[in-house]
Amino acid sequence: MTQKTKTLLERRYSMLGLLLIAPTVLVFCAVIVYPLVSAIYLSLFKIFTPTLEGTWVGLDNYRTLLAKGEFWTSLRTNLIWTVGTLTLQIIFGVGMALVLHQNIWFRSLARSLILFPYFISTVVAVLVWKWLFNDLYGILNHLMMSAGLIDWPLDYLGTMPNAMISVILVGAWKYFPFVVIAVLARLQTIPDHLYEAARIDGAGPIARFFDVTLPQLREVLVVIIMLRAIWDFKEFDLIFLLTGGGPVTSTQTLPLLVYKEAFALNQMGMASAYAVIMMLIMLVFMIIYIRRTRSEDS
Amino acid sequence: MKNSSMFGHRISRRGALKGMAATTAMASLPLPAMAQETTIRWWSPQAAPAQVDAYMAQIAAFEAANPGVKVVFETTSDEGYAPQLAAAFSSGEVPDIVTHLPSFAIQSYYANGLVEPFNDVIEAIGPDDYFDGANDVFRAADGNYVGTGIGNSAANMLWLRKDLMEEAEIADAPRTWDELRAACQAMQKGGIFGAPLPYGRNSMTTLIFVGVIHQAGGQIFDTDLNVALDTQATRDALEFYASMRELCPPGATNYSWGEAITAFVSGATATGIYTGRVLGNVNAQNPPIADSVTCVRYPTASTDIPAWTFNDFPSVFIPKQSSNIDVAEAFAASLFNPDGYIQQLHAAPGHVLPVLKSINENPQYQANEIIQKYPGEVELMAQAAAGGFNLGYESAAHQSNEKAGEVVGSGVIADMVQRVVLNGENADQVIGDTTKAIEDIMAG
Repeated sequence: MTQKTKTLLERRYSMLGLLLIAPTVLVFCAVIVYPLVSAIYLSLFKIFTPTLEGTWVGLDNYRTLLAKGEFWTSLRTNLIWTVGTLTLQIIFGVGMALVLHQNIWFRSLARSLILFPYFISTVVAVLVWKWLFNDLYGILNHLMMSAGLIDWPLDYLGTMPNAMISVILVGAWKYFPFVVIAVLARLQTIPDHLYEAARIDGAGPIARFFDVTLPQLREVLVVIIMLRAIWDFKEFDLIFLLTGGGPVTSTQTLPLLVYKEAFALNQMGMASAYAVIMMLIMLVFMIIYIRRTRSEDS
Repeated sequence: MKNSSMFGHRISRRGALKGMAATTAMASLPLPAMAQETTIRWWSPQAAPAQVDAYMAQIAAFEAANPGVKVVFETTSDEGYAPQLAAAFSSGEVPDIVTHLPSFAIQSYYANGLVEPFNDVIEAIGPDDYFDGANDVFRAADGNYVGTGIGNSAANMLWLRKDLMEEAEIADAPRTWDELRAACQAMQKGGIFGAPLPYGRNSMTTLIFVGVIHQAGGQIFDTDLNVALDTQATRDALEFYASMRELCPPGATNYSWGEAITAFVSGATATGIYTGRVLGNVNAQNPPIADSVTCVRYPTASTDIPAWTFNDFPSVFIPKQSSNIDVAEAFAASLFNPDGYIQQLHAAPGHVLPVLKSINENPQYQANEIIQKYPGEVELMAQAAAGGFNLGYESAAHQSNEKAGEVVGSGVIADMVQRVVLNGENADQVIGDTTKAIEDIMAG
């Protein structure tokens, strides 16, 4: 009798568990599984975007895109952008976090202001930077010409390699505060006695940074690099608004190519195929990230 | 000991679950209609403040005449309308009326069953009141009209500064490319550049360069819409465009419509390339040069090649998915009522030119300060626009090109310009690649 009651109770608890988890599963299916399956499904069709009418083409879209030079050049551009901007974000971010960790004047104010680029809308940020870069009225050209560094205004966004360098710099400026926040939080938890021990051993500031600070930051940096690599890889608005992918296709990354296929050429099926390939590439980052976090947990 | 909640009632697990289920069910029910008002949405990429004021006046007049109808104006952009409309069409959340898009865009949408025939609206406006042939560009292969012009525009007029020409001892406006280049070279000094031609990866570069090819005697498509780009005229056009690069500001590699007009209006360039919007902007933003500004049709490679004016034929059309087609048609016709239409034209005098004869002759229209100050320029633009063409309608002999919007949107022509002019790639190779890319779009 007791056994029977327990079983019934357990069964009811199981049902309750299922009911409670059902909303989460439904939301997960709606926001993750459905779009994912839809994208893969769409990529198997040739679809005219405005009408969403299409014909089955199987894997033709994948064959076509892999044979296209534009895909490979965009992938290369995507990697250059990601590596370039991520490197600068880490360097600026760690450097600024170290400065803000010191006992300087207006430290609280500086810690708040440093977040400004990260919080500002990308559209506003790009408008400001385009104004700074402007060939006729931009302050950068004006200052450089006034200082006698250049005779004619520089074309920051319309020629290579200026365009890629500019985009990478603006990206680094926009996103380095994320690194500052994460690194600063970690810096505040490094035990002081490690530095004291290093000092007693005769370590100078540089040695203390490389032998104490950097090893302590390693774990958090790995997570930051993984997250930012994923986010930077799929960056769209900043690059699109700054250069539109130009000159020619010199700053055209894969997200811009997806947009072009979907909305300029009205080829939603091909755009989905590009998006699926992008997802597979990002999956590599994800797997590294998950493995890393799992090993940290263990 | 009694369990009690903060409200003093005991809530059982079963009760909580029932409550959650009921709440979820309520949330999923459709909302009741909030009112009996009919709302239509109006999209346009032309949204300068004065233009929006004019639209609001037209909306107010229509709403007053049609109680229970509300019109909501929403802005799109010249570079952004294609993706926005593609998303709108695919989601079914379409605007009820769209204005000021180029004619070739509508032809493409109509060919895919996305646009309502516009014949009834043209009848309501009065087909005899249009300038001759004004609606030809809107006639589809099935004989229906896909929309109508809300105005004409002469987008590639050559704008000149008479004061700078005088300083440079240039007596006449350039008629050929050689004369234009020489004039720009003579006027490029003291921080002023010769011209603001666009070299960006955008629709302006595409549309202006289509004109340049025609000014060299060439065309993009033949009359049967086969790609006809691989000609000496295209090579000449690229050579001319490359030769003008040193006469343009460094940032022209990213110029679109906004940058091009600003460069001339601000006085940073001696010549300009734009519509009549220059007139209003110069008077408002740079009055010291206002009396020196004039325009001519853009020069051609030689005097025996006729001028070719790019007119995007700013349009009005109604998406087929609109749930208020009757109201949208009535509103579309109301946009041409004299008071509102004239106010709209006056919001950008010379930029959008009237398509109705009665409006052009209307003293109220002619009474505008800018139109009176520049009668020769406005008349020239009106004539040029009336005889103008675009990529969807390259000449009177051409078939309507339903794929023109996608060719422009793909950016292949702007890419061709950038590859040859900025990257210095071999023109023959680039023209071959571009031809193939356009052929793929036409086949797709």
